[in-house]
Amino acid sequence: MKSGSNLEKVLSAGHFAVTAELGPPMDCDAGAVLEKAKILKGAADAYNITDNQTAVVRMSSIAAAVLICKEGLEPVMQMTCRDRNRLAIQSDVLGAAALGIKNCLCIAGDHQSFGSAGKLKGHPGAKNVYDIDSIQLLSVLKGMRDEGRQQGGDPVEVRPPLFIGAAWTPMGDPIEFRPVRLKKKVDAGADFIQTQGIYDVEQFKEQMKIVQDMGLHERTAILAGIIVPRSLGMLKYMHNAVAGVTVPDALMQRMSTAKEAAGEDKKQARLNQQEEGVAIAVELIERVREIPGIRGVHVQAIEWEKKVPEILERAGLLPRPAPGGAKERGGAN
Amino acid sequence: MEDQVATASCMAACPVQTDTRRYVELITQGKYEEALEFLLDANPFSSVCGRICHHPCEQQCRRSKVDAPVGLRMLKRFVVENTREYRLLRRKWIEPSREEKVAIIGSGPAGLTAAYDLAKLGFGAVVYEKNDLPGGMLGTAIPRYRLPWAVLKEDIDDILSLGVDVRTGYEIGAGIGINELREAGYAAILIATGLSESRTLGIPGIDSEGVLLAIPFLRTVAGGRGASLGERVVVIGGGNVAIDVARCARRLGVEKVTLVSLESWEEMPAWKWEIEETVQEGVEIQNSWGPRSVFTEDGVVRGLELKRCTAVFDEAGRFNPSFDEGDVSTLLADNIIIAIGQWSDLTCIEGSAVKAARDRLEYEPETLTTTEEGVFACGEVVTGPGAAVEAVRDGHRAAKAIVHYLDTGELLSQPVTKPPCLGDIPLDTAKKIKQRAPVIPELAPADARVRDFSEIERGFTEAEALAEAKRCLACTTGALADEEKCAGCLTCVRICPFGVATVEETAAMPQELCQACGLCAAECPAAAIALKRFGTNRMREEIEGLFAGIGMREDIHPLIVSYCCLFEVTSRKLVRSEPSDAARTGVARVMVPCVARLSVVDILAPFELGADCVVIISCTEGDCLYPTAEERLSARVRRAKSILDEIGLGGERIDHWRTERSAEVSWSAFWELSKRKLRALGG
Amino acid sequence: MIVGERKPLLELKGFIEDYRKVLIVGCGTCATVCFAGGESEVKVLGSALRIAFLREGKEREILEDCVTRQCEPEFVDKVTQRVADEKIEAVLSLACGVGVNFVAEKLEEVPVFPGINTKFFGATVEPGVWVEMCAGCGNCILHLTGGICPVARCSKSILNGPCGGSSDGKCEISPDVDCAWALIIKRMKKLGTLDHLSKMIEPRDWSTSLHGGPRRVVHEELKPVQAGREQD
Repeated sequence: MKSGSNLEKVLSAGHFAVTAELGPPMDCDAGAVLEKAKILKGAADAYNITDNQTAVVRMSSIAAAVLICKEGLEPVMQMTCRDRNRLAIQSDVLGAAALGIKNCLCIAGDHQSFGSAGKLKGHPGAKNVYDIDSIQLLSVLKGMRDEGRQQGGDPVEVRPPLFIGAAWTPMGDPIEFRPVRLKKKVDAGADFIQTQGIYDVEQFKEQMKIVQDMGLHERTAILAGIIVPRSLGMLKYMHNAVAGVTVPDALMQRMSTAKEAAGEDKKQARLNQQEEGVAIAVELIERVREIPGIRGVHVQAIEWEKKVPEILERAGLLPRPAPGGAKERGGAN
Repeated sequence: MEDQVATASCMAACPVQTDTRRYVELITQGKYEEALEFLLDANPFSSVCGRICHHPCEQQCRRSKVDAPVGLRMLKRFVVENTREYRLLRRKWIEPSREEKVAIIGSGPAGLTAAYDLAKLGFGAVVYEKNDLPGGMLGTAIPRYRLPWAVLKEDIDDILSLGVDVRTGYEIGAGIGINELREAGYAAILIATGLSESRTLGIPGIDSEGVLLAIPFLRTVAGGRGASLGERVVVIGGGNVAIDVARCARRLGVEKVTLVSLESWEEMPAWKWEIEETVQEGVEIQNSWGPRSVFTEDGVVRGLELKRCTAVFDEAGRFNPSFDEGDVSTLLADNIIIAIGQWSDLTCIEGSAVKAARDRLEYEPETLTTTEEGVFACGEVVTGPGAAVEAVRDGHRAAKAIVHYLDTGELLSQPVTKPPCLGDIPLDTAKKIKQRAPVIPELAPADARVRDFSEIERGFTEAEALAEAKRCLACTTGALADEEKCAGCLTCVRICPFGVATVEETAAMPQELCQACGLCAAECPAAAIALKRFGTNRMREEIEGLFAGIGMREDIHPLIVSYCCLFEVTSRKLVRSEPSDAARTGVARVMVPCVARLSVVDILAPFELGADCVVIISCTEGDCLYPTAEERLSARVRRAKSILDEIGLGGERIDHWRTERSAEVSWSAFWELSKRKLRALGG
Repeated sequence: MIVGERKPLLELKGFIEDYRKVLIVGCGTCATVCFAGGESEVKVLGSALRIAFLREGKEREILEDCVTRQCEPEFVDKVTQRVADEKIEAVLSLACGVGVNFVAEKLEEVPVFPGINTKFFGATVEPGVWVEMCAGCGNCILHLTGGICPVARCSKSILNGPCGGSSDGKCEISPDVDCAWALIIKRMKKLGTLDHLSKMIEPRDWSTSLHGGPRRVVHEELKPVQAGREQD
């Protein structure tokens, strides 16, 4: 065991792992974090706490992670390269490890200009850091954990037990380079991977074939990303505006049909689309489960955390195995 | 740099190096009087040459490679026709300031030009002319339908008005010869007697009644004494004199005029365009025939026997015709006129130390001297047949030689050189230049022409002259980059619509290619490019000058500065911009040869000086001489507008119009619209 | 070259509002080529400012000049001389930030205002369009990325790109910005060296860039020499 985290144990035991996501609030409301934690408890093996996601200032990932730890949920802290230099990163990781956080997802982080979108003002004028990139970050953490040294060379006596994760956009541009990038991440030290949201399962399968040929699926645990759609509008937005996400026409059509079935009734239309979205999410989970090399799913229901348990239930993924192997009870049904 | 020294090809081709390009430019600017000064400066016979010059300038005009040469001769004619009053007023008598007097024998263009030059420098010049009228061949041999007497008189009167003394009916050589002239006190003598005598042929029957010589015939016609000719006339000869003779015969009512020439059609020395007019006028031309004999009846001409000419020149290129005596033909004729060339009457040298061999003076071409000291010679008498403008050149050279001799006692060597000039336009460049058909007023139909001796050609109207002058490419006035300022940014290379500019370390615009459009100068970020023809940085001074002339400027509201495309005017009324105009109308006009050369600073400058509005008037849509110029100008106008917006003055104060139909028709309407808008804005 | 853009006119007018005699100085090198502050732009600015002050009825003397480079002492001396001779009260420099710094240092007691916002080191990709290509990082790695700089041309300066935000060859921050890593991959494919990118580029030593402090380059052999004395 590298870290002894629940996620690591579940994967080692050979189970199909589930991670979910929890976004912290834009203020210091610990209660809001705990609310979400209560909703999600028992639904997943570990819970990602985003780190100033889309460059919007929120309660820090480490702080929120500690809060949910107290509720008995295992966090996956997220560490972006945008906001911290290598000193702060290493310092924060050591601190997080001291506080008992074992899983860490290393990502580059959206450019700070993303923070001022829609109604939000964000901080588009902030200086971005990007002292090291996400791949270099993986190697830094691995260096601390496995070699007991800081990036600069100084020793790390008590090494942080970390289960190191990275993100992967399998269908990003240029698509033929994405498997190479995955390899770089794995080489650098990624123990597990959470992918960008998958809607086009066929295309994903093709990329996974290449990954299998490279043997990467055996060196790292790949969890397919599932973003639960709430509406046709959301699907369209993802397709057009989110890099690396393509939504096949069939799914668009289903959502569209669901919306139109309600006619003029807007409330009903909303409900129809939500229902369709949940159904789609369940199907996606079932389908990616069948792809060789996929060891789990990472479910994201942005500001819709209450649906996560239901989706996982319908996908037959509940209850989750208890830490140590036995199935756990819990979660709201 | 070599190509900066180069002269425009037209000027280099002119035997007297008239600054052709410059007078064309002055015409476009409506400055006809100044243009006249340039003409007369080089050529006192500008009226004559405006009619009959063989225009070597046009033959070298670089525009020929694009479509057709600029009508330089016709433009010259336009200038002299439109400055008559001015020309009269500028005449002045020059009191001789030098003791020495010079005698000139012969009042043709060579002799009179020499006299003119000498008089201007203060020497007393006396011209002795054996005929009753001055002008030499110009007055006698060139028919009136090509050169009206009044036109020749214009030039001659200018010369006389200086104080040159022309004594007509006075032959040198008979009683008073060169020696006598010497004794009479002349410090130098110039022989300019030309080729006044017609050659004759030594064939049987040549002395019969009805056989005439060309020059005496033409002299009779010129004198209005109407030679009487029969129904059929044969003219022998292939040169311009023969052509003139044939056309005169037609005008005297002869139905059947035939011209026989030794030369083939291509070889005929007469100007091609004249040969065409001749054929149109019903003259039959028979080529490659030589005269064999005249056959007569009772001593009167009945016809001409011809033999085939097989070659005009021998292997050495000398005039040495060969014939096939077996190939003969006959032409019936009541009169035969011989126009095969001329020789000089050298009576004037009898008894003097001036020597001649056969009928040619012994003469040194570079110093223009004869074998007697102080006696010079110039013109056809020593060069052989030449054109009128060449005679003028010779007269200038002679005057220079004489003045040097009188000043220093020494001889001046004047080798004839041609100044370096631009080569042809490369075809690639020629293709990019917009074609514009030349303005060529049509001659009257041939049958109308032959009815009398009235002038067959009409001059340009003002609109035509301005349109034709616009075609001039303004060679050698193009862009020049200052090496010191140039940053090598390549903007000129990218902007030039003709692909002219190149950058090695700094920019260069070869004169051979540059079309003087001014686009590079307007955009250069280092302000490193200047144009010889129209500097973009003179605008401010010009407007300051205009404003200075308008008193009470503060009272004029709105005060508009209007940059207008010079090429759109059809008369010069709009070209001249007087301060009084601006005071009266509120519009100060600045004429620009293509407004696309205005830079952003030019557009802003009037506001600095207190103008309320700047109006820019381009040419009519699709008419601009320079590709992409309109788009570039529009982008600059937009920029100037945004600058005015930024400082709060408002970009609406700049208006950019396109001429509709003509300047005279549309411009005042534009100014009115701009004024109205300004008043609505509050002045 | 260094690429900049002239500051808004009203901002510049504000700088010099209170001075009666101002000299606008252009720069004949980079500022000329990117159309920000060459002699031509000096003239335009001078004209615009004079019009603006005229409109307000204020008397101002706005003088114009341009030197070959404002980053060179001999050329800047011409400016300082003129400022002293003509008792100029303020200078508005249209050179890049370097020029403003340098001229201000030489003038000391006369304020020097920046006329340009200096932006980047870039190249002309098409006439009228300049694009940033170099970050002046002090340790060039262009040999590793096929000649395309990830420090200057990737919005995140990622050295092992592309990130997940790359889409259709464009950067996540704007469809007008090329994804440098998409370009690098394309280029290295053409060069036949794409496999080099499988190896991670290590975290970079940024101390050679501004992060390490303001930098200096010295060529000892060019330093002024006194005749007859050996320099050690």
